[in-house]
Amino acid sequence: MKTIKTMLLAGAFAAGALAAQAEEMVFASWGGSYQEAISKAWLQPFSEETGIDIIEDTEPEVARIKAMVETNSLEWDVVTGGGSTLMRGVAYDLFEPITEEMVDQSHVIEGAKNEYGVPSEIFSTVIGYSKEAFPDGGPQTFADFWDVEKFPGKRALPDRAATVLEAALLADGVAPTDIYKVLDTEEGFQRALDKVSSLREHVAVWWSSGAQPVQALGSGEVVMALGWNGRFQAGMDEGLDIEMSWAESIAQVGYFMIPRGAPNREQAIKFLNYMVQPEAQSRFSEYVAYGPVTDKAWEFIDDERKARLPSTPERLENAIFMDIAWWADNATSASEKYTQMLQK
Amino acid sequence: MSEKAPMKITSNKRPVFWAWIAVAPLLVFLGVLFFFPVLSLLGISFGEDQLTFEHYLRIGEVPIYRRVLLNTFVISALVTLLCVIVSYPVAYLLATVSPKVRKILFIVVLLPFWTSALVRTTAWIILLQRKGVLNDLLTGAGLIDEPIAFVYNLSGVLIGMTHVLMPFVVLPLFAAFINIDRTLIEAAEGLGAGPYSIGRRVIMPLTAPGVIAGATIVFLNSIGYYITPALMGGPGQTMIAMLIADNINRDLNWSLAAALSVVLLLCTVAIFVVFQRVFGLERLLTGSASRGSTAKFSIGNNGRTGGGWLTFACGVAVLIFLIAPILIVFPMSLGSSPFLSFPPESYSLRWFHNLFEEAKWMRGVFNSLQAAAVAVSFSVVLGTLAAIGTMRLGRRMRPWLETVFILPMVIPVIILSVGLFYMLAPLGVIGNPATLGLAHSVLAVPYVFITVRASLVGFDRNLELAALNLGASWPVMFRRIMLPAIMPGVAAGAVFAFIQSFDDVVLALFLTNIRSRTLPRVMFEGMVHEIDPTIIAASAMIIMLTLTLLAINLILSRRQS
Repeated sequence: MKTIKTMLLAGAFAAGALAAQAEEMVFASWGGSYQEAISKAWLQPFSEETGIDIIEDTEPEVARIKAMVETNSLEWDVVTGGGSTLMRGVAYDLFEPITEEMVDQSHVIEGAKNEYGVPSEIFSTVIGYSKEAFPDGGPQTFADFWDVEKFPGKRALPDRAATVLEAALLADGVAPTDIYKVLDTEEGFQRALDKVSSLREHVAVWWSSGAQPVQALGSGEVVMALGWNGRFQAGMDEGLDIEMSWAESIAQVGYFMIPRGAPNREQAIKFLNYMVQPEAQSRFSEYVAYGPVTDKAWEFIDDERKARLPSTPERLENAIFMDIAWWADNATSASEKYTQMLQK
Repeated sequence: MSEKAPMKITSNKRPVFWAWIAVAPLLVFLGVLFFFPVLSLLGISFGEDQLTFEHYLRIGEVPIYRRVLLNTFVISALVTLLCVIVSYPVAYLLATVSPKVRKILFIVVLLPFWTSALVRTTAWIILLQRKGVLNDLLTGAGLIDEPIAFVYNLSGVLIGMTHVLMPFVVLPLFAAFINIDRTLIEAAEGLGAGPYSIGRRVIMPLTAPGVIAGATIVFLNSIGYYITPALMGGPGQTMIAMLIADNINRDLNWSLAAALSVVLLLCTVAIFVVFQRVFGLERLLTGSASRGSTAKFSIGNNGRTGGGWLTFACGVAVLIFLIAPILIVFPMSLGSSPFLSFPPESYSLRWFHNLFEEAKWMRGVFNSLQAAAVAVSFSVVLGTLAAIGTMRLGRRMRPWLETVFILPMVIPVIILSVGLFYMLAPLGVIGNPATLGLAHSVLAVPYVFITVRASLVGFDRNLELAALNLGASWPVMFRRIMLPAIMPGVAAGAVFAFIQSFDDVVLALFLTNIRSRTLPRVMFEGMVHEIDPTIIAASAMIIMLTLTLLAINLILSRRQS
């Protein structure tokens, strides 16, 4: 009996020692070509450099993070999400604050910084249009997007309010710096809604998945769409006859977070430090058309690739950053009013 | 008399006792894996920390919630109606063709389920969009000048949902059709009834239990739909399950999601009560059974009548509607561009290459089958027992039990998923395919219960009593008398249970991990950004496998005969 116990204990120690030797980290993101790019640009080289094994999981819905954190069954060390995921999680205290001691982010673009996440890439909501429908030049500004006389044809818009309300106000002549001041007032919010409403009969597709606007442009269902630059770019790379306008854009930031109680916190911090370095940042855009979060990355990126990316200093000058704090405060009521407006 | 009275009580009480024994396992099962997790989550509709009614007040005050509830019920009712209408000719067709043809037609009816919701909707959009296949055909034939907007509106939602929900009516309706006593129709013909009055006065009443069982499933199922309306509808077709899922997943507003679920639940139950009062559901379910048919339903000696041929033609048309989006999956899976078009501009085996290259697909199929095996066995045993037990209980008890057993269909799956996660995560069983299978059983059990319950209506109790009186034990009677009679219902229930498990994404999202991902979950990965055409290849593969199995089966049965 005693020997068995000793053997079991010895076995347990041996297993523990093995586990200590092979460090690991569990990373969860959104699958598809996006996660593939993360894997190639960051996960695989990081693993090779440090010897830390990385297990990749998918679909880190913020609801799942909440459930895992609250039941002490967290499996993930690093999760990824957009600004709204980040802010929702912060409201429920799901993410660890990232201090300067943990990750040095002094070189990161101001508009992308956040206390609870390390920015990983910048993507933009832009106008994509069919070159076949507009051979002599398509819509450039959001005002053009709303101008159905000059640029006739069906449009595609997101079925969610975020970015559409901003684009509507820009189209209506509000100065980029005033967008959220205007949205904060009841009349201003109504003004944005009315502007969207005025375009309604020209919208054939209200999209819910990022693939839809590109598909709709490619099939001729619509002639222009508001969508993510990376998706339009993927369509262009596959030979679809479409084009993007960079005259105006709404920049959004992707974040990597450490959920509270992450089992391999040390490795997660190491990884975040690695990922945000300028050279590593420059690598991501080799695989998808999303831009670096630091200006220091540009020296590693050639001009041809630069032309595909949303966060060049020149393009950011014509862009507004989506205000994730505003959306966190107003998400429920904004989406109620937006969906209601679309019903009529 | 005074001596006989106590005798009677004992002989009546024993069946009731056994009936409760039959019903108990399912009650316990649902109590643990459904009512406990769901009620604990719905409880937070009254606030997470302190008692508040603000979420209910919000639903009352903000107009969008009323509008979306109305959308949900109107769309569900329309889909149910459409399903019933288009199912009649198909069920008639199934009942009147040779068994071999029937086998093929059954596969055709069930094929939509063999593809993921994502693949189905993608295929429909390719067929129906403004520059899609159907509009090209219609404009090419000169029937229309301008393309018709079939998708991204109400018609898109109705087409997509009817397509996938129709089999839920066809199967029980078919079971009702073949139970119709041929002699009844002959008698009606002999008395001078034409095809129309036979249809209205013989077929309709006799098939009513089957239709009601199917329609109930379709209506309750529709209420929880959100992937199809989100992709094929417009913003005017926003359904309540979309708002609930958004509030859970994206906004973390679980209290509001819970309150919406409670309101949805109450509305559904209210509709049911009204429906029962107005149409006498119980009477319809129990009153019109055909009693042990002696001659199976078939076409009469003189061949099909005019009405028969018309129904036949309609049935074929509906079958074409069912397989159209499945057929274009094959050429699409061979297209070389990730941006789908039909016909593809160039062909390649790119997506099939992916399918076999990446281990996750095959592992996903394996995990799905494991979960489905657990789900089918649990739900079939528990659901069948409960249906038999419920039939033996008094009229007063029955509606309550029926409601309890059907409830898992009404509660949005996302609510069950989150509730189950909180209950099971501390036990360390998340990620085990058996756990997912048990959770799927909760979803599947109402289907088995409803279909078996409907087939029991047609079962003549005198046969049971005769067998028992002749000395057969209950198990022998069950195996040799009752089971053969209710087999079509049990089989339909098992198929539905399999489908529920094989098509589920939402429970899988919460209850699986990287090692136990099921096929539908793998398919949904990355759909925020893109649709990976590998899922189309995967669907094509599954369809081909099903068809191969069918072909082998047909060849073998031909050899035997």
